[in-house]
This record gives sequence, C-alpha cells and structure tokens, in this order.
Amino acid sequence: MIEDLVSVLPVFITYYLVALGHGFFEKSGVLNLAIDGLFVLGATVAFAVAAYSLNPWTGLFMSSIVCSLFGAFIAYMATKLPISHGALGLSLMFLGYGLSLVIGIPANNYVYAAALKPSAYTIPTVMNTLMVLFIASILIGILLHYILENTKLGAMVRASGEDPHTAEALGVDVLKTRIIAGAIGYALIGLGSAFFTLTWRIGWDPKIYLLGHGWIAFAISLAAGRHPILTIFTASLFAGLVRYQYVVQTTLGLSTEITKMLPFIAAIISMTVFYVTPLKRKLASPKSLGKPYYREERTV
Amino acid sequence: MLNLATSKNNRIFSNLSKLSYERVKPFISLKGITKRFPGVVALDNVSLDIYRGEILALLGENGAGKSTLVKIMYGIYTPDKGEIIIDGKKTNIYSPRHAVDKGIVLVPQTPHLIDSLSVAENLILSLKEYGVFARVERVEDYVKKIALDIGINLDPRELVLTLSYTQKQLVSIIRALLLKAKVLLVDEATTLLPSKEKEKFYRLFRDFVRNGGSVVLITHKIHEALQVADRIAILRSGKLVGVIDRGKARSEDVRKLMFGETVLNMLQSRFNTSRPSTYEGKVLEVVDLWVNSPFGEYAVKGVSLVVRKGEVVGIAGIAGNGQEELVQAIVGLLRPSKGRIKLLGVDVTGKGVELTRKLGVGYIPDTPTRYGVSLDNTIEENIAILLAKEKKIIRWREVKEIASKLVREYHVKTPHLKVPVKVLSGGNLMKILVSRELAITKSLLIAHNPTRALDEVSAKYVRHRIREKATRESIGVLLVSEDLDEVLELSDRILILNSGKIVGVFDADRVERKYVEELMVA
Amino acid sequence: MVRLIVLRRTKPLPYASILIPVSSIILGIILSAIILYFLAGISPLALFSLIIRSFISPTVVKDTLILTLIGLSLVIAFRASIWNIGAEGQIHMGMLVAAWIALFTPLTSAPMFAKITCVLAGAVAGALWAALAGVLRAYVGLDEVPITLMLNYVAYYVLDILVYGPWRGRFTYGYIRTDEIPEDLWLTLIPGTTAHMEVLVVAIIIGLSTWLMFKYTIIGLRLRILGSNPEFLRSAGVNVKHVMVLALALSGAVAGAVGALYLLGDTHRISYPVEAQTAGYGYLGILVAWLSMLDVRAIPLAAYVVSSLRITGITMQIAGLGGTAIVFLFMGSVLLTYTIAKVFSEYTIRVQR
Repeated sequence: MIEDLVSVLPVFITYYLVALGHGFFEKSGVLNLAIDGLFVLGATVAFAVAAYSLNPWTGLFMSSIVCSLFGAFIAYMATKLPISHGALGLSLMFLGYGLSLVIGIPANNYVYAAALKPSAYTIPTVMNTLMVLFIASILIGILLHYILENTKLGAMVRASGEDPHTAEALGVDVLKTRIIAGAIGYALIGLGSAFFTLTWRIGWDPKIYLLGHGWIAFAISLAAGRHPILTIFTASLFAGLVRYQYVVQTTLGLSTEITKMLPFIAAIISMTVFYVTPLKRKLASPKSLGKPYYREERTV
Repeated sequence: MLNLATSKNNRIFSNLSKLSYERVKPFISLKGITKRFPGVVALDNVSLDIYRGEILALLGENGAGKSTLVKIMYGIYTPDKGEIIIDGKKTNIYSPRHAVDKGIVLVPQTPHLIDSLSVAENLILSLKEYGVFARVERVEDYVKKIALDIGINLDPRELVLTLSYTQKQLVSIIRALLLKAKVLLVDEATTLLPSKEKEKFYRLFRDFVRNGGSVVLITHKIHEALQVADRIAILRSGKLVGVIDRGKARSEDVRKLMFGETVLNMLQSRFNTSRPSTYEGKVLEVVDLWVNSPFGEYAVKGVSLVVRKGEVVGIAGIAGNGQEELVQAIVGLLRPSKGRIKLLGVDVTGKGVELTRKLGVGYIPDTPTRYGVSLDNTIEENIAILLAKEKKIIRWREVKEIASKLVREYHVKTPHLKVPVKVLSGGNLMKILVSRELAITKSLLIAHNPTRALDEVSAKYVRHRIREKATRESIGVLLVSEDLDEVLELSDRILILNSGKIVGVFDADRVERKYVEELMVA
Repeated sequence: MVRLIVLRRTKPLPYASILIPVSSIILGIILSAIILYFLAGISPLALFSLIIRSFISPTVVKDTLILTLIGLSLVIAFRASIWNIGAEGQIHMGMLVAAWIALFTPLTSAPMFAKITCVLAGAVAGALWAALAGVLRAYVGLDEVPITLMLNYVAYYVLDILVYGPWRGRFTYGYIRTDEIPEDLWLTLIPGTTAHMEVLVVAIIIGLSTWLMFKYTIIGLRLRILGSNPEFLRSAGVNVKHVMVLALALSGAVAGAVGALYLLGDTHRISYPVEAQTAGYGYLGILVAWLSMLDVRAIPLAAYVVSSLRITGITMQIAGLGGTAIVFLFMGSVLLTYTIAKVFSEYTIRVQR
C-alpha cells in the first residue's frame, strides 16, 4: 500500500501543479498552448541544474524561475499586442522542445560521463518527503482557490479573462494582472514539470518531447473547469491511470502501445464529457479566453 | 427597489469643495483635440471648457464625434493632436485608471460591468485603496451603505447578470461616487430610459453639481439636452460648431447647429407612404414563446404575436428585457424552450437559421459587426454569401451588379467594392447591411435597433425604405427598437416588452406616449 | 516614463505580404543562432553557411514538394480559422491505409491502379481522422488544437501496434518493421533529385484546385467567412457545423494523400517506433502555411524555405546535438517572430512620453 502511494504521489503532484498553474493562467484570458513545450523545458532545466549542481532542490527552483519568466513573457505578448494566442503558444511549444534538447543532451552526456547515480541529483522518493510535498501542493491549490474567489486579485484575474475591455474601463491593469497570472501559473508549471525528472522519471530521455504530459495536464485542467479544488480529482484520476499503466496492461491483457494511447484517449473523453454535460455551463471558460486584445478597439 | 429621494446626506459628496457656481476657471480644458481612425477624422481641432458646478450637454448626432471625445477624456483613446488641461496643469490621460485618479469617471450607455462577477467584485476593481489581497467582503458593507444613502436597496453580493438595465446604471453611479468623482461623463446612459427613470438620474446629477461636481451629459436627443443642461456644446462631423447657454437656447437654433443648413431641409420632409387599409395573410406567428437567457432563467416568458403582410409591428422596451433573445429565437439563432414560431405557415421552431433564410427572412442584428457582416471580407463577399445557395460556383459579375446598385442607392461612401468592410465607417457599414437585408428579404424583415449607429439623415432614409418595402412588397416587418421615437414613427402596431412579457398592444394611430412609457417601466 | 501604445494603422503596411514572412525568417534564424551560440557554442557563421548550402542541397526538391502539399492542406483549414495541428496523424493514417493496400492486398498486380488507389485511400483515411476532430469541434465545441494534437499521438501508437504485431515483416533482419512494398508500386524519381513525378503531379492538381476553390466556389467563400466571422456565417443561414467538419476533412484528405505518397516514394516501409521515425512534415507544414500568409500562390516558395531550414537542422550534428533540436528551434523561432511580425501588418507602435 505504501509502495503504491509512493509511486503514485509524484505523478499526482506533477499533474496537479501543472494543471493548477495552467488553469490559473488561462483564467486571466490567455490561451495557453505552450504548455507541453514548457513542461518539457521545465523538466529538462530541473534535470540539468540538478545534475550540474548535484542538488535537486536548486533544479526545482531554477525550473520554476525559468518557466515563470516564460509565463510572464507570454502574458505580456498576448496582452500588449493583438496577437494570436494560439500561434504564440505553439511557437513557444516548439521553442520549448528545441531548447530542452539543446540543454538536455549535453546534460545527459555529462551524467553518463561523470557516472552520476540518480540519488545524487534526484529527490528521494520516501514517504515523508512525498507526503510533505503532496500536502504542500494541495495547500497551494486551496490558496489559489481562495485568492480567486475572495480577493481583489482574484476578481482582477477573472475580470481580465471574462472581459478585458470592461476590466480596463473599471480600472484594472489587465497587462499587469495577466503578467502576474502568467508568472504564478508558470512557476507552478515549472515546479510540477521539475518533479517529472526529479522524482518519477529518473534520467533524461532525448525522446522526452514525444511524451505529451503537458497535454494530459491541459485536459486535466479543462475537465475540472479550471477549478483548483476539482482539479485534485481529475489529476488523481490521470495520475492513477498513468502510474498504473502497467497494471492496467497486464490485467486487461493489452499491448504496451494500447496502454500508451490510453491517457490520450481518456483525455479526449474527459474533455468531451465535460463539454457535453451541464458542467460546461457551471464552470464556464473565461469568455475572452484566447481573444486577441486590442486596447483601442472601436465598436460600431 | 428604486426609491430615489433627493440626497440629504452630503457625506458622500465630501470630496467636492462647496463652491457657489463659479465660472472663473474651468476644471477641465480641452484644446485643439484631433483624432483620426482608418478612413475617418473623428475629431477635428475641438476645444472645450468644462466648469465646476455645471451640467454641460455634449450634443451631436451619431458619428459626430461625441463618444470619441469622451473616450479621450477617459483615457481609452489617445488624441493625435491637442492637449488636455486639468486644474491648470497640462495632463496626458493614459488609461481609465489614470482618468479616475484625476477625478473623471465614465458612466457609459452599456454598463461597464462584468456579468459573471458580483456587484462588490466589480466595484472593488476600481478602488485603489484596497490592495490585491484584500478580501472582497470588506467592500460589501461600504457599498451597501452608499447605495442606501442615495436611496437604492442593493445586495452587493448579487451577480451583475441578475440586475436590470436601470439597476446596472445606478451601480455605475455608485461606482463614480465611490471613486470620489469630480466629473461624471454620462455617455448616453440616460438617453434610452423612459421619462420617469430619467428624472431619478437627473435629480442625482443636480445634487452632484450643486456640491461642486461637473456632469458632461453626452446625448443625441435635443430635448434631453434642453431639459437638464446648463450649457450645450454641439458637435457636427468632428467639429465643435457652437456652445449655448441654457437660457439662450432655442430648439430651432440647436437643430440648425446640429445638422447644418442643407441637411435641415431633408429632415423636414416627412415621408408619405400610405399604409394599406387591410392586411392579408400572416407572415409571422409566435405562440407562447419561452426562451432561456444564457444565464439560466427565462428571458422571454410566454410571448405571442402576429405580423401580417405589409404590416410593421414595433416592439418597444428598455434594453435588456428580452429583446435579443426574442429576436434570436425568431431568426433561428436560439432554440426556444417552449412555444411555436410559424413563418408563412411553416413551423420553424428551433429549426435554425438555414430554414428561416430559405423562407426569405431578412435580419438586421443589434450587433452588426458580430452577426451582420464579416469585417475582413469585401462588400461583394458579404453579399455573395447570402445569395442563392444552390449554385456551387459564384457568379461574381452578378454580385458586383447588386453591390454597385446598393452602394449607389444608399450613398455608401467607399473607395471601391473590393475593400474589406472594416475600412468603412460605422454608418456606412450599417448601410451596406441594411441595404443587403432589404434586398434579400422576401417574406419577413426582422430589424433590431436598425438605425442605432446611423446619422440622422441615413436613419431617416433607412426607416423610409423599411416602410416602403413593407407597403410595396407586402413584406412583414418586426421592428424591435430600444429607441421609442423610432418605434412610434415607423410602426402600424406597437407592442411593449417588459421583463420578457408583452404588457401592452396599441394601434399606432391611437397610442399615447405616456402610457407606453409607463408600461415600459412597470 | 516611456509608454508604448499599440494603434491600428490608418493605412495598411505596404508590401506586407513580402516584408512579414521575409523579416520573420531572418529574425527567426538570428534568434536560433543566438540560442545555439550561447547554449551550445555553435558558431553563427557555420550555421548561416550551412543554411545557404541547404538551399541547393539535392534533397531540397523532394522536401519542397511534400511541404507544398502539406502547406496546401493546412491553408485550407487555416483560412477557415480551423487550426489543424494534426497533419502528422493524418499523414500517418494515410500511410497506414496505403501500407495495407500495398502489402496485404492483391491490388499490387495492377501497379498503376494500385498507386492511385493508395493515394485516394490515404486521402480518405486522412479525411476521416481529421473529421473526427472536426466533429468534436463542431458538435461538442472542443478546441481543435489539443484534440488534433492528441490524435497525432494516438495515430503513432496505432501504427506502432500494427508494426510491432500483425504487420511485422518477414525479411527484416532483426529490425521491427514491415516488409518493403513491392517495387512496382514505388514512385518514379525525377532525374537529378530525390523527388517523385507523381508527387509533383498531385501537388499541381491540388494547388490549382485549392486556388480555384477559394476564388470561385461558394464552399471556398464559406470556408473563408468561417475564418473571419463564424457568427455571421451562421446568421447568413449556412450550417456552420458542416463547414467546420468539411474544413478538417478536406485538410486531412490532402495530408492523408501525402502520407500515402511518402510511403510509396520515400520510405517504402514503416518502421517501429513510428513516432521516432517521423520527418515531422505535419508540424513543419504549419510554418509553411503561415509563412505563405495563407496565400496559395506563396506556398511553394514558403515550402522551399522551410525545406532548407529542415535540411540544415538534419545535417547539423555538432556537439552531439540531434537534428531534431535544431529543427524545433528554427520552427519555434521563426513562428514566434512571424506571429509578432504579423501584428505589424495591421498595427503600429507609438512611443509616448
């Protein structure tokens, strides 16, 4: 039982934090399609910094900082210019893949050359550490929910996502708000993705950009209506599915490939279910999500 | 609950210095303001002074530049030339927040409120004294108190989407007071309200200026300006053509300044198309229609009506009483929950726009840039998309002929037919839309605020064409307008929509404006 | 305090359709060069000379033709504002069906007929795979970007299952892959290049058809208005859902056909793991479509440029960095600079003190 938890908690923490950050950022109205690219980048930065400094916590920290800076950049571009959020996100996705390969391959070579043992640069997956991290992430989620529902910042973020023009007229600095949302959101994405290489997927794989975990987190957030508390449940579901791929495989007698497909099929199904049920209205997407923002818009 | 008594509590106006009516130095001075948009000069060298303690009306027809001037004062647009001087100091207003810092607060026609947030959440967004991590709860009591002070009973925790149009406007006023406004920019916010509601707001304005504030009332209705303003500034085609004191203002002089000499004559002649003595054949029949609003409850509650061939049926009402949902349900954009809609005898309930278009329905939407045209496409393309669907290949020559004809008849100002529609001014865009819809309508024209963005001459022309089409081609017209004057002018029968229900039916010949207004508010 | 204000241009930017793609390519390459220099020590001069040489590399014609076709596929969808990021999956589905016909059906005895059937069947497979996403977009309302993207992964894995299992070849010398398709079905080389006649023919046909469709047919106009204002399209009485699905289906059809052609002409077999073997045309095509500013006539030129960049990436193997890294870097940089540059065709920046 303990081994089960030990193996599933890191996956949960990764998915939850990434989905949490993504959802928070999107609530401010910026469509976040760069998620997978920056997930990969964050994971790689964490790995590289941890390996070079022999300290997983610096890896965690740097990943968070780097991703946070990207988040602020995306928010700035998407709000200052009437730019296509989708194109912006996709370009950073590819850039993220490219950068992670440029950083990851040398780091990986270094690890082999120096014959580093995983324990030298990863977070020890012991129950105590994991429980602390797990509780910390839940607390972050609760904090985010409180901010969104009860504070002025939350009102600013939601206003920017619903109707940035009206928000601006009401006195909100939409640019600043979205930059904050982007910085916080992506700091969490950086944290979550760091856990990927530092806890459950030890070692760095040049094929890392093919895994698609960022998109799973995207679906996790969407299926929960970007609600910080509900995301706990969707994240648990997918964490279980991904972690127990092997179990699912052997019990149902499926091939490896089919089980590799399962998270994506589950993702598509969960998003469809969300959209088809009343959930879609109760936890509606921000009305202005993805709409290019032109401050001096002239209406007929 | 709108018991608005004159405020006896001056605490809320404490920020304004109690001066007697001082005309010495203007509070705000606009000098030589010029603003251009693609294809049009919205403001041309406008200079205007705004004093403390006065209600200044900014009068002009649609497209004259009033809204642009106000948006510049509010920091939404930046002027291309000219300067703004506030309290003697030259200032640049960078944003609405900046304007609010200077004491300038906007009260717009469509309330600047976010529907899915509560009243308190909307208001806290404007209040600088609360930090980002401040709890919204803290502001709720304060808001409730201010509201009571001016005589409104309001739960600040309610979501804005549940409020009526008038309540939302009152929230906008509360916001201005919370922000310790020195100048209220009232941008057509009261223009469409019935008289009784208007009075409430006027009383508030008079209190406000009596305590040293200023109100700039933007309107295109002469009678409103004459009713409440101390001075009237008139804009025409982006230029300031006159500023008149209330005592010296006569309706005729004001009209002349507003429309110019030559235009005046066109306006004087009223169109004289006769109305048919009997109407045959039902074009539209709506029976007990119930339509949901996007927020869950019913926006249309059991509406029944009939439009016959050659008849113009006008639906009057204050904005937000279910007009949009009613119109969209009949057009086919929204599916009703209950009831029947029959077009030329065919049941079209919930069957979509494809069917209604096939049956020859024309639609002039309230938001033309959304439902009426595609801004990035050309005039020709915007017409071609609505022509015969059976043909797979487009005959561009035919389209071009139709487009040229419409441009000529309606005097649309455009460089040529292949420009993307977004290049055109708002008024010209509407003309393209209206002319197109009038051209393709074969059975029923549904017009929702058809002349909203149009200047007076074009508006009159459009109304004339609608009337003409109805009579000459035996088309039925369903006119839904938030402008009561328009409804009264154009309709054969008038229905009043209030809170989603039809509360009155009148024959145009036997209607009294007073009663209609009462029913609009009841 | 200096403020940057973004304003709409009163007059459109002159020569925008040339300035924007060209400047974004140049700036994108510079950005990649900077990244590669500071993070991997690669000399910018070496990079630039390699790029120049790639423009005249022997394989550039083949890539250009393929990317022209993918560019066409994506432009069909993009002009309708339907962001088909699933061309990779649609290509592979086309490959799947073509492989089945080539390896496991008796059609191979009539080579000409078989080749045409492979391409057409590939088109159908690609269309269906894309239409799946189209249905989810039109009838459920899901954003097609994550859906088409996830379907790419699913497509890879479907092929993996087949290649690992029932389709494993008999003459594979230990590699996990299918057998080679019969030589009769191989495409004809254009002399002097690594490109194929049939691909050229298909490219010309699809190119002309696409251009004509957008210019003269009601379908083309509907696709375009779906792209500029779907709510108006609906008000005009057009079934918007149908048009959405059609946009994806047409796009997928072209991509699927490319998959078939790619199998018949270049790879001649499918190897495991499929996701590691892909040339990435489906993603590169995105760049081609955008750089052409969604103008059908500019696609071949954009395809040529992107092909050269791809070849640069592949041939560059400095410091142990795989070609994929460089290609992604180029893609991301150019796309980023393009996305930003595009804004300036309609807007300008004013500096205010």
